[in-house]
Amino acid sequence: MTWPGRSVAARRRRAAGRAAPGPLREYLAVPSPSRETPLEDLPLLALDLETTGLDPRSDRVLSAGWVPVDGDRIVLGGARRLLVRDAGEVGQSATVHGITDDALGAGRPLEEVVGELLGALAGRVLLAHFARVETRFLDAACRRFWGARMPVEVVDTLELERRLLPGGGEAPQAPGALRLWTARARRGLPLYSAHEALTDALACAELYLAQRSELEHATPERTTALRHVVA
Amino acid sequence: MALEVELAEVRDFLAQHEPFAGLPAPVLEDLPARMSMRYVRRGAPVIARGEDNHHLVLLRSGAADVHDAQGTLVDRGEAGTSFGSITLTQGNPSTFAVTAIEDCLLLLLPAEDFHALCRAHPDFAAFFDAQRRHRMQGAVAALQLSASGTAILKTTVRELVAREPVSVPSATSIREAARVMAEQRVSSVLVMERGRVAGILTDRDLRTRVVAGGVDASAPVAQVMTADPVTTSVESLAFEALLTMTSRHIHHLPLVDAEGRAAGVVTTTDLLRLEEANPVYLAGDIVKQPDVEGVARSASRLPRVVQGLVEQDASADDIGRVATAVGDAVERRVIALAEAELGPPPVPYCWVALGSRARLEQALASDQDTALLVDDALDEDGQAWFEALAERVTEGLVRCGYPRCRGEVMATNPRWRKPVAAWEREFSSWLSAPTPEAVLHSSIFFDMRAVHGQEELLVRLRRHVLRATPGAQTFLAHLARHAGAHEPPLGFFRGFVLEKAGEHRDTLDIKRGGILPVVELARVHALAVGSAAVNTRARLAAAAEGGALSAELAEDLRDAFEFIGYVRLRHQSEQVRAGQVSDNFVAPDSLSSFEKRHLREAFAIVRFAQQALGRRYLTQFVS
Repeated sequence: MTWPGRSVAARRRRAAGRAAPGPLREYLAVPSPSRETPLEDLPLLALDLETTGLDPRSDRVLSAGWVPVDGDRIVLGGARRLLVRDAGEVGQSATVHGITDDALGAGRPLEEVVGELLGALAGRVLLAHFARVETRFLDAACRRFWGARMPVEVVDTLELERRLLPGGGEAPQAPGALRLWTARARRGLPLYSAHEALTDALACAELYLAQRSELEHATPERTTALRHVVA
Repeated sequence: MALEVELAEVRDFLAQHEPFAGLPAPVLEDLPARMSMRYVRRGAPVIARGEDNHHLVLLRSGAADVHDAQGTLVDRGEAGTSFGSITLTQGNPSTFAVTAIEDCLLLLLPAEDFHALCRAHPDFAAFFDAQRRHRMQGAVAALQLSASGTAILKTTVRELVAREPVSVPSATSIREAARVMAEQRVSSVLVMERGRVAGILTDRDLRTRVVAGGVDASAPVAQVMTADPVTTSVESLAFEALLTMTSRHIHHLPLVDAEGRAAGVVTTTDLLRLEEANPVYLAGDIVKQPDVEGVARSASRLPRVVQGLVEQDASADDIGRVATAVGDAVERRVIALAEAELGPPPVPYCWVALGSRARLEQALASDQDTALLVDDALDEDGQAWFEALAERVTEGLVRCGYPRCRGEVMATNPRWRKPVAAWEREFSSWLSAPTPEAVLHSSIFFDMRAVHGQEELLVRLRRHVLRATPGAQTFLAHLARHAGAHEPPLGFFRGFVLEKAGEHRDTLDIKRGGILPVVELARVHALAVGSAAVNTRARLAAAAEGGALSAELAEDLRDAFEFIGYVRLRHQSEQVRAGQVSDNFVAPDSLSSFEKRHLREAFAIVRFAQQALGRRYLTQFVS
């Protein structure tokens, strides 16, 4: 997902010049938070996409869940969970997500769902656990619907977890040590039964608050800013 | 469903915890979106003391402790526990500190949503009322936690020393030093050189070194003083000072402050006086006095005893019993002295204490409330003996610091000094045809306790009264109305409900506004179940047992009574310390925010109980 040698801001300007009128262009018109923004002021949007697989070329988005984080607060009032209605069958992934074809029949077209998501993401940093899935699917959708890429600043709780574990990310980790639910269990965060997009987004946001406080506790001499945590 | 704002996990969590569990499903569904979440590391404040709080804080995970203004742990909560309702209902800043003891994930509900829920769902509001009461009980318990340990282990020598040190320069003559000691009425004098304590001269030194040693009294004091005496810090405990003095066989110990300046002298007598402040010692002392003057002298130590108990954080209940025991001892001794002068009584009688002393709840600033129950065989000549007894005892009590009752409710008043049969008729008329005056009188006379003489006389009268009371519905209704008449000053923390005129302007009458309402509530409930209990706590227990009060409300009232009593005693103790006469008029400025907060809670409980009582007897229909 990286475009070496170019700042996110430059890539956003470039994409804004190419994007067709619509949600993507509006999203790109709102500046992304500066990398110097202290975490206590940083607006983020915790996002989880439920997909049928990991490859945007062959797999589909089934639902999107998100919840805003303003500095040290999760704003539950901004939480959304949108189902995507699309051609094709859910197949085997239904056993993981619990989203049946019937439920998807009640969803909205992907273009609308991504459009609304871009509205919520404007002016915020994207927050996700193993964010590559989210950024790749969103990037693919934006190119398909509006003809431009979607450069975005990202904070990845999986990357933060790797840094927070003993060895500072250098040491090899036990299998599964970086998974969202393992990272949460390590901190005594609540157990969640459901695995759907909004629950996972909320779980990611809660994990971020815990990681953030650990990071700041570990480095009391500095004001931790976006540049210290950006993926 | 195209759009779902479904925070199912949060909603399910709320549904598992009181008081949210009791909310209707649609309300629960709507709540998560009104909340925000925060994360607090272990050791960090969830709600900081002294700061404003604008949320109901619900622990989503982790654990937190609540400490009161004194730093005492009053509550501990884990996932599902709410904090912050006290500041939301009673105003900021928070006097409690809520601190994370594990890493905590918090759900925050804004104040306006909390208030809307309280308005719409009474059970929701009641849950937080109960929670506040619980935390208040914790606060009351904490006040008493430190009641163990005696004065000598807790008092610093600084508190024992009442006066500035008496000193002379080292060049002073022995004669001049002796003259200063005599003039200042002290048994020792400090000898100073360049601002430091160079020596000490005591009565004993004058005796053994000067007189017995034949030293010229015009010689400088430095020649006979004890040079470089042992000193101790003014911050030492009395206990440590006593150890120093006994191990070195000395009776005077100079005190120095942190800069080495003389701060006073503590003597073995000062340390003994600590034990005199022991109430057992005081009561024993009173019994031994040969005359009223002696009793008065001993009784004058009561304020110091009460002050000592308050400083040791004894409970208001315990202090009330001590003050009562001392009051009883004084009264018994004065009666015995009067009887010794008047000769034996012509017929048996019972000397009765009324009011707070009858209830074992005496504080300082109590006046006399007494009555005489005389055997029915009383004749004309006998009456003169009892009149003389009443006069002497009342006069004696005045000299011992218990002023006359302004309402003349004393044995000197012939109305309150009569044969038991006449008492029975009096009570019967009060119960059957309650006039406002009768209700007022009964409120005094239902609180009776035998202090001296034939207790059987009082037992007979009480049996008569209790047989008639539970059925006397009209009378009880009047009494209930009377009990609701003194509303506790709930507005205390807004504009303050204060005395408007006179000597006690701008103060709160804590007896009338706080103590008496509980006393009256307890009395009417206990009478309604036919209980013979006189003590307020005992009455509340009896009322709960008899079903007149819920166990919970009885307990709340007991705690409220204890707390109000504590505040009164603290006030009186500070007056004693300042050398003032004790009273019941508390200036709001003198209260800590902790005391204000809990007083308000106590008043709210009392008011709630008054309203419940009012509904039971429909007092508005009694006129």
